[in-house]
Amino acid sequence: MAFIGGADLGEAGLNGAGGLGAPPASLAGGIMGTLARAQYGALARLRWRMFLNGLRSNKGALELGARTFSLLVYGLMGLGLGTGMGIATFFLVSRGEWRLLPILFWVLVFLWQAIPVMLASFQEQFDLGILLRFPVRFGSYMLLYLVFGLLDISTILGGLCCVGIWFGVAAARPGLLVFATLALAVFAAFNILLVRAVFAWIDRWLAQRKTREILGAIFMVGLLSLQLMNPALYQKRHARHTGPDERVQQLREAEARYAPVLKVASTVQKCLPPGMAAQSLRHAVQHEPVTGLESLGGMALYALLVGGVLALRLKAEYRGENLGSAPARVKAASGRNGAVAGSGIQERKAVGLRGGSGPIAAVIEKDVRSLLRTLPLLYAIGAPLLLVLVFSGVFIKNGAAQGPMFPLALPLCMMYAQLGFTQVFYNNLGTEGAGIQLYFLSPTPIRTVLLAKNLLHAFLFGLVALVAAVLTGLRLGPPDGAVVAATVAWLLFSLPCNLAAGNIFSLRMPYRVNPGRISRQRGSQANALLSLLVQLGVLAMGAAVFSLCWFLDRMWLATPIFLTLAMGAVFVWRRVLGNADGLAYQRRDALMATLMKES
Amino acid sequence: METAAIQTHGLTRRFGALTAVEDVTLSVAPGQFFGFLGPNGAGKSTTIKMLTGLLEPSAGTVEILGQPFGAGALHLKRQIGVVPEGMALLGRLTAPEYLHFVGRMYGLDRETTNQRTQELLEFMQLANETKKLVTDFSHGMQKKLALAAAVIHGPKVLFLDEPFEGVDAIAAGMLKSMLQGMINRGATIFLTTHVLEIVERLCSHVAIISQGRLVANGSIEALRAGVASTLPGAEQEQRLTLEEIFLSIVGAGGTQEQAQELSWLS
Repeated sequence: MAFIGGADLGEAGLNGAGGLGAPPASLAGGIMGTLARAQYGALARLRWRMFLNGLRSNKGALELGARTFSLLVYGLMGLGLGTGMGIATFFLVSRGEWRLLPILFWVLVFLWQAIPVMLASFQEQFDLGILLRFPVRFGSYMLLYLVFGLLDISTILGGLCCVGIWFGVAAARPGLLVFATLALAVFAAFNILLVRAVFAWIDRWLAQRKTREILGAIFMVGLLSLQLMNPALYQKRHARHTGPDERVQQLREAEARYAPVLKVASTVQKCLPPGMAAQSLRHAVQHEPVTGLESLGGMALYALLVGGVLALRLKAEYRGENLGSAPARVKAASGRNGAVAGSGIQERKAVGLRGGSGPIAAVIEKDVRSLLRTLPLLYAIGAPLLLVLVFSGVFIKNGAAQGPMFPLALPLCMMYAQLGFTQVFYNNLGTEGAGIQLYFLSPTPIRTVLLAKNLLHAFLFGLVALVAAVLTGLRLGPPDGAVVAATVAWLLFSLPCNLAAGNIFSLRMPYRVNPGRISRQRGSQANALLSLLVQLGVLAMGAAVFSLCWFLDRMWLATPIFLTLAMGAVFVWRRVLGNADGLAYQRRDALMATLMKES
Repeated sequence: METAAIQTHGLTRRFGALTAVEDVTLSVAPGQFFGFLGPNGAGKSTTIKMLTGLLEPSAGTVEILGQPFGAGALHLKRQIGVVPEGMALLGRLTAPEYLHFVGRMYGLDRETTNQRTQELLEFMQLANETKKLVTDFSHGMQKKLALAAAVIHGPKVLFLDEPFEGVDAIAAGMLKSMLQGMINRGATIFLTTHVLEIVERLCSHVAIISQGRLVANGSIEALRAGVASTLPGAEQEQRLTLEEIFLSIVGAGGTQEQAQELSWLS
């Protein structure tokens, strides 16, 4: 019997296969053929083995614990959202408020698409690209892509919301049970396919320099355009207090003024899946099953269309397209070699830090360039600003900024803005990849590298905090001086806390960030969960001090308290930086092994 | 007595129960072009990692230019250049940006870094690729860039882990002449490669590692004479190639017979 290194080839399945020239007969089967089923089984066993092997190390066990906990948290979040959606649906359906029902479905679509990016650093995803070297059919590849997608956070949360809506409809109109099941199943399928298609295409665009730059520019313009919303919001803040009758009158006037726009919007949205989902339920209640089925069919067509768009992308990947080696710019003419090289250096000078030629300036320059080419991180940093704008609306009642928590609006918005920096602070070496070796080879101490990163991140955070403060101020009016001072003092405390903890986490439990992808990132549940706990601890300390001073009506007292805490935090940060080289060299094997992983 | 450029004593690295490198003692004189050979998985890259501070030895000592290599050996790091196994590249930078970054990490001033960056890019025939991100480079181009980064600060000792892998013949010829130029100016080069022809042409001394242990060390002529002396009388007169020396020392017995067993491959 043939053997290699003592392994019996018969056990490997080659026995009797008729040699390499004769492919196994089962290759002819469809996506549920013998070979396909064997491959699904092999993949399931692979995942199981990876899971078991992960438990061999303490880090693996920690990851499992973190993942279980995360799943529980997401489950609870989903249950909460689903319950809310269910209650809202129940009231809308039982009262026949069909005009408002599409809003629920639009909210759900938004959540479904936004969650994967918002929680990109909190979930680990399995990259199916490894399957491409095997004789896997395209149908099987796509099926696996969709099946693995069913386990991600957005699908769990979105699915639970759909269940909530289903219960709401069933409770309000039991006769709609079957129709609601059908409508929600198609709606869920549309969302699952849409989120996959969107991220698959974004990943593709991010892999090409030109489209990556265009996307980056659009993103930056989007962020800056937030400023344009301010004048409108500013006007609203200055609106005088009105009574209930006046408000009704104002609403009527606004409705009359915007009626044409609203009418067009309502008509358009009826032709889109969220509107169709609501329409199908409405027609079913009104005993118009044919029209209801038309809406359902329309939604199914959208799902097929989106599925087709996804299939186009996956087909290209399946044919062996490598995102990392996507075509770049056209090469310059060979005769212009010298000129091109020279212009490259001129360009560098233009963006360089003036007067800084040391390693700190070098790391900062390098990180700024990398950051501008890493859309996922830009999004993570910028997205909270948009939500700060939305979030600050909580403090607006009856057209004016007020409410019991209004005095604390600024620190609350600041606290929220800080969450966007989780990945930046707590995995600050994640985008280095193989470049991590350079830090160990060069004569620059690791603490200098971390110091440079901390300085850049602190500056970026300061910038985001400033924009968030301006947005909050414009929306809610200038805050009290004592609150501003206390908020600044709290930032001086929380920033070194996060930087210190972030440096430790970055060295102890890093994970590789693929800068060219938004979806299918590896992530680390342990890092995500523990960093969240540290952030929550810092936020809780801030909240406790603010609440105490607010309760005692001595807000000025918060500033010295936070400044005292800040001194302690800076001391800890400096200690962590001082010990960074020891920790880095102690962990260098694991650091390099983790950050240099291909996928 | 002249201080060795590279000196190890009892260098050992264990990964759990596996001993990847065991009791390696060698000395490389200044100005020597030293080839470090071995079959796949013999421990070459592990040894280079220990010599360059990327991996801590489980036992034994390393001295480069007479100084022990520890976590704090920052002054020593200025004097060595490395093309490691993973190339240590930063994919989101362009080639000039990367070289500029590396130069400054090694303490070069901005003007010197700019000048050397331009010269190296032109030498490596990467000057017309200044807009392309490193991640979009071919493997060969990445190798050339990694080599440029390893020499930008003018190191006295250069460690090269498979520098010619994926590099085209024209570029390989240029690299060889560049490395020879460095040797002529007094630098020491420690090279691992599977291309034995290059080692034979460039290196004066070689060491061979197999299954983590050093099995041969000396000048190529000394090894040739040693292997020839074990051959039957008539064959001793033949001039052995480095490949023959290598196969003789490492042992290639059985591979052809085993290949014949794989009858289903045809």
